[in-house]
Amino acid sequence: MSEKIISKDKIKEWIDVLMQSHTVVAPIERKDAPAEFREIKPGDEPIIDGSKSMMPPKDWLLPRYETLFKVSKGAEGAQVEPAVPECKPTVMLGMWLPDAAAIRVLDRVFLDDKFKDPYYAARRENTVLVAVMPAEKRWSWFCNSVDDVETWKDSVDVLMYDLGDKFYVEGISAKGEEIIAGAYFTESNEADTIARNQVWDLFAKCDKLPFAGKALYDNLAWEDPIWAEISQKCLACGMCSYMCPSCSCFDIQDETNGLCTERYRCRDTCQFEDFTLMGAGHNPRNNQLPRSRQRLLHKFKYQHEQFGVVGCTGCGRCVELCPVNVDIRDVLTRTCSKERAEEPVKAD
Amino acid sequence: MTQETAVIENTTQEAAAKKEWQPTILGILCNWCSYAGADLAGSARLHYPETIRIVRVPCSGRVDPMFVLKGFQKGFDAVIVLGCHPGDCHYAKGNYYARRRIALVKDLLKSLGIPEERFHFEWVSASEGNRFAELVTEMTEKIKKLGPFEGVTP
Amino acid sequence: MSDIENKIQEEAKKALEGGDVSVVIGWGAGSAPFKTTPVFIEKPEDADKLVWNPACVNNLAVYLPKLANDKKVGIVAKPCDIRSMIGLIQEKQIKRENLYIIGLGCAGVVDAFNLDSQDFHLQDVIGLDWTSDGLKVSTTNGDYTLSCSDCLRDMCLVCTKREPAIFDVKLGEAVQPSDIRESLIPELAEERKAYWSEQFSKCIRCYACRQVCPACYCKTCFADRVEPKWTAKKATAEEAWMFHATRMMHIAGRCIGCGECERICPVGIPVAELAREMAQAVKDTYGYEAGDPNQESPVLGQYKEEDFDPAHHGG
Repeated sequence: MSEKIISKDKIKEWIDVLMQSHTVVAPIERKDAPAEFREIKPGDEPIIDGSKSMMPPKDWLLPRYETLFKVSKGAEGAQVEPAVPECKPTVMLGMWLPDAAAIRVLDRVFLDDKFKDPYYAARRENTVLVAVMPAEKRWSWFCNSVDDVETWKDSVDVLMYDLGDKFYVEGISAKGEEIIAGAYFTESNEADTIARNQVWDLFAKCDKLPFAGKALYDNLAWEDPIWAEISQKCLACGMCSYMCPSCSCFDIQDETNGLCTERYRCRDTCQFEDFTLMGAGHNPRNNQLPRSRQRLLHKFKYQHEQFGVVGCTGCGRCVELCPVNVDIRDVLTRTCSKERAEEPVKAD
Repeated sequence: MTQETAVIENTTQEAAAKKEWQPTILGILCNWCSYAGADLAGSARLHYPETIRIVRVPCSGRVDPMFVLKGFQKGFDAVIVLGCHPGDCHYAKGNYYARRRIALVKDLLKSLGIPEERFHFEWVSASEGNRFAELVTEMTEKIKKLGPFEGVTP
Repeated sequence: MSDIENKIQEEAKKALEGGDVSVVIGWGAGSAPFKTTPVFIEKPEDADKLVWNPACVNNLAVYLPKLANDKKVGIVAKPCDIRSMIGLIQEKQIKRENLYIIGLGCAGVVDAFNLDSQDFHLQDVIGLDWTSDGLKVSTTNGDYTLSCSDCLRDMCLVCTKREPAIFDVKLGEAVQPSDIRESLIPELAEERKAYWSEQFSKCIRCYACRQVCPACYCKTCFADRVEPKWTAKKATAEEAWMFHATRMMHIAGRCIGCGECERICPVGIPVAELAREMAQAVKDTYGYEAGDPNQESPVLGQYKEEDFDPAHHGG
């Protein structure tokens, strides 16, 4: 693992070089909105110090709207036009570590050996992840309470620490080492290492919440009065999962125009009424209570059982954005503070 | 131009076959007056450009603002809504309700920056076959000058 | 402010003890000092969970169509929330006799997003309070005073109706803010189209604007319908245009301008601005304002023979 320094005024130069061989994706500011991950075009001003709120990086890897294939009918019968993207090697810059850890969750879902998703794989497998640790803490973070954040470093190829006018850069994987080999990277000294540790501690050693370290998957219960309480105020807007970096549910739709049909996928969420609505009209989750419960249990219990990872990385987006202030930290604190009867959680 | 516009353009081949660009106009017509008016224009063998695609509705009161919005979203170059003159509604007052709604549609289109010239609302009765033919001619000429609609979100 | 908070708690307690009110909806302490959360108080002894501060931003009328159908519901409400209720009463979604309204005079409420990017860190904030100079933000590093335009929810800056229109109990005084915000929307038609194209291209189609809107109570929204499919679910600017344009048409003459849609939009689309223009158009053309207790039916549910005629009399 190499440890280097790059001055902030050299970043542009570095990106320009990367752009010759890679597609470079980074958060780009949008009008009145959080920065969004997209390909950098000449003239763009990417934000790579993690200082601004940003849309989750899944916007790039699992786009909000993606054509799966098109079918058109012509003189020679139906023609199927596949739409699996062909991707150049890509560098994703500027996401912060919890977002990168969330990509680890997406990988479990979409890069499974048995059910590999070709669309996701085409973008993901060629991608170098460069995460950044911002210099300031946000009020909504609770990353170090949901997981051992030290283990998250393995989910990225390069990790950068914002030290004010420069970045401390750690190459973690071989793919990562390749892209930080340029001359604008200099050797780090002892003072830099101390500053780096401070940035890391701000993130990893901040106060833990009461549920930290507890086995959340054992503490969340199917029968709990808290679900009724949350679902009473929940407006089912689904923003928590649309903005979540690790929520990956999607819907598939067909749209026909004349003789051409497009099949596409787009975001969906367990918070919507029609998420579990069946063709014949039955809806197994027929009110908000099981829907509110589903999101929490899926993240902290089912994903843990299936993949051995927790589906939440404590980025705090849902905490900041929920219109009725259903705070996931409070929910976890309360569910973990009670003495519980030994009761197996049924699968939904 | 949106993808949908392209599809509409392709499927309306008679327009594509002509050298000069012809607009495609969506006409939403009340069954009892304006549609009958359009019918009269036909049986009187009046000539008007074949630019209009007619949707027949039972009453102008049936015209959901979404019809107009959808027309623009799908890339029609103009949308026309025609109904019975006030006081003449087959259902007594459908067109009075329509009148309020359409006034607001106009305001909404203005707020969204859709050119006013591309939306037209008028009362045309069953006996006004002439007026219908005239109207389609006028509208076609006007839209030809404006050029193709570049979509709701260019 | 805490004085009013105490009175709210007292009134809620009285209403619940009286027996005919089964639940009081109000704001409770949120997970941060600049947040509040809706609470549903069912027992008189829980009434002390109710709070009143500049972060009481939610329009609680959104819960009423489901709750106030078959039982009497108490509700703590700002003037804009009350105007939403008047709309719901006019549209026969709730009955006035099923409501016990604890109405509040309002000085505007705070959008937590606006507190970000100020001179202090959000995690240091201890409390918010109104003072004569604006909003006092107490933090662990001292107090800060913000002007209204720096912190209020956008729609509060254009709001002129700060007294409850109907109520069973009225508490607190209305305060008119000194700074008024100007419209952000460009004047020229061509610029407008480009402006909204850019805004709608951000839309992620989470439908949060619809979900928080008290006027959006349809059992099945047109956007969720499959046959006919009015707007596809894909997140493109064009489909988002269709969704937002139709929603604007549906709430035209019904939107009372609480601005919740704009406050909660995760990508900052100023939809409330569009709704405000529609409301202005309705007012200019028909002299009608949503949420006026003297109106009997919504503007599009009535007509006059002498109405403005938008028909073009060419020829």
